[in-house]
Amino acid sequence: MNTTLEIKNLTKHYGRVQAVNQLDLTVKPGEIYGILGPNGSGKTTTLGMILDVIAPTSGDYSWFDGENKVTSRQKIGSILETPCFYSYMTAVQNLRVAAHIKECSFDRIDEVLKRVNLYERRNHPFKTFSLGMKQRLSIAAALLANPPVMILDEPTNGLDPQGIAEVRGLIKDIADEGKTIIIASHLLDEVQKVCTHFCVMRRGHKLHDGSVADILGETNYVTVSAESEENLQTVVKSFDGFQGIEKEGLAGFLVELKDGFSSTDLNNYCFSQGLTLSKLDPKTKSLEEEFLKILSEK
Amino acid sequence: MIVKAFQLEWLKVRHYRVFWVLLGLYLLSLIVLTSGGAVFLEFLKYRGLKWEGIDPTIIPIYDFPDVWHNNAWLGHFTKIFLAFIVVISVTNDWTFHTMRQNIIDGISKKEFILSKIILIAFLGAISTVFLFVTSFLIALVYSHTHAVSDMFSNLEFLFLYFVDIFKYCTFALFMTIIMRRPGFVIVFLIFYSLIIEPIVGAILKFNPNINEVTGWIEPWLPSNYFSITSGLIEVPFPRYFLQEVQEGILWYPLFIAIVWSAVFILLSARRLIKNDVR
Repeated sequence: MNTTLEIKNLTKHYGRVQAVNQLDLTVKPGEIYGILGPNGSGKTTTLGMILDVIAPTSGDYSWFDGENKVTSRQKIGSILETPCFYSYMTAVQNLRVAAHIKECSFDRIDEVLKRVNLYERRNHPFKTFSLGMKQRLSIAAALLANPPVMILDEPTNGLDPQGIAEVRGLIKDIADEGKTIIIASHLLDEVQKVCTHFCVMRRGHKLHDGSVADILGETNYVTVSAESEENLQTVVKSFDGFQGIEKEGLAGFLVELKDGFSSTDLNNYCFSQGLTLSKLDPKTKSLEEEFLKILSEK
Repeated sequence: MIVKAFQLEWLKVRHYRVFWVLLGLYLLSLIVLTSGGAVFLEFLKYRGLKWEGIDPTIIPIYDFPDVWHNNAWLGHFTKIFLAFIVVISVTNDWTFHTMRQNIIDGISKKEFILSKIILIAFLGAISTVFLFVTSFLIALVYSHTHAVSDMFSNLEFLFLYFVDIFKYCTFALFMTIIMRRPGFVIVFLIFYSLIIEPIVGAILKFNPNINEVTGWIEPWLPSNYFSITSGLIEVPFPRYFLQEVQEGILWYPLFIAIVWSAVFILLSARRLIKNDVR
């Protein structure tokens, strides 16, 4: 299997509104792929199209190198924003419906219910569940078929901090099993923490895609401080790689270096000038800044 | 695929109390309609009512094989309850967003609509079997003849009864898919098929000013709930006034019913497949 998901020119118009425009994406096995974008950028519409609940205006997609789409979906565990179950049925009865559709054995039901910690409540009707329990039941349903691919749409939306921690822990566990995961989120640190690859969408257009490791790394900025602020300023300004300096509150000074100079060079230079830095903190890029940069560039 | 769709629907309705209550009420009303005739005639006798000296209980409405026609005609009035079950079954999958979930989990929209058609066929089959059993039992008691050849002739009325239910429920399915809200659909079905359409049909057929031009439309009206003038099962009782009645399958109404069922199913499927699922 070469690709898990391939999207080609996928487009969805609602009247004159372009929800998704000419989207191309490739997800390879084992990747944890984040689809980032502000609300209304077309993430959920994209997921809806690749799950066949939204009819694309044009374009196409294929799962598992072009396998039948219906049977492909049986091998995908999806957790969408709102948990959808029959309110009059119990947890077990609801999971039987899902297991029947996914053509997997009912024997798995107890196992997944134990995994999401709902086994004790298995015979209670769905309508008596709290939001966190409903969310956990949809995770259980998604895990039923032991699927190689998981799709998560804003998985932590609306959960309390404990629920968020639980869901994130589960995502990590699932990722450790080597599954491919596709996550749509507007929470950048969520994507930064768990994803290997990502793309950025805005108003239906894909602005950027690539690996998370490529875009993160050191920047040209270093936060420094020393006992004597004046001395620090003079010394730093005389450094060959000096580009700019700015006071950064109580933390010290934010120094911008020219390309080709690193924080180590700055430290060496200061030391040779008899200045001991009490703090040297090279700034790493955060996805948040890069995300905002990508959004403002185009 | 058919077995899978059937099991899917079964898993959904199995634990649904509303389904069993509606089905129970339906079967109860079916019993009352099809076996209440004896009670009714006894009542007439008790009140001393007689037609030209004839004891009403002597009217052989439960004689084999006439009982099949009589009860099929009486029984077809209650099919609207079955239509309600279909309406609720489909709208439930929207209000719970479970149609969307089902599709995401791995069925096609075609399989979804197939599961609803199988539900319709299943309800029709239950009703037909039930009608067969109750009519058979009551006829065993009241029939003046118990010749096996009489007992099992004219069973084609049970087939027509099934087709009638199937067609009306596909009409309900289609209206549900168009109107989407269970309350609207149920009110619409009651008003349209029980009141508006019969009146329109009667005008088209019996108004002497227009009926030569418009009479043909009446059997083609989409729901055609009451088979009083031109349905699959015509009124059987004129036979007791020595008039001719339907003796078997009427091919033209059967053709109409099959055409409408196919149209309703195809339009439902088309609309479901074309539209986004919320």
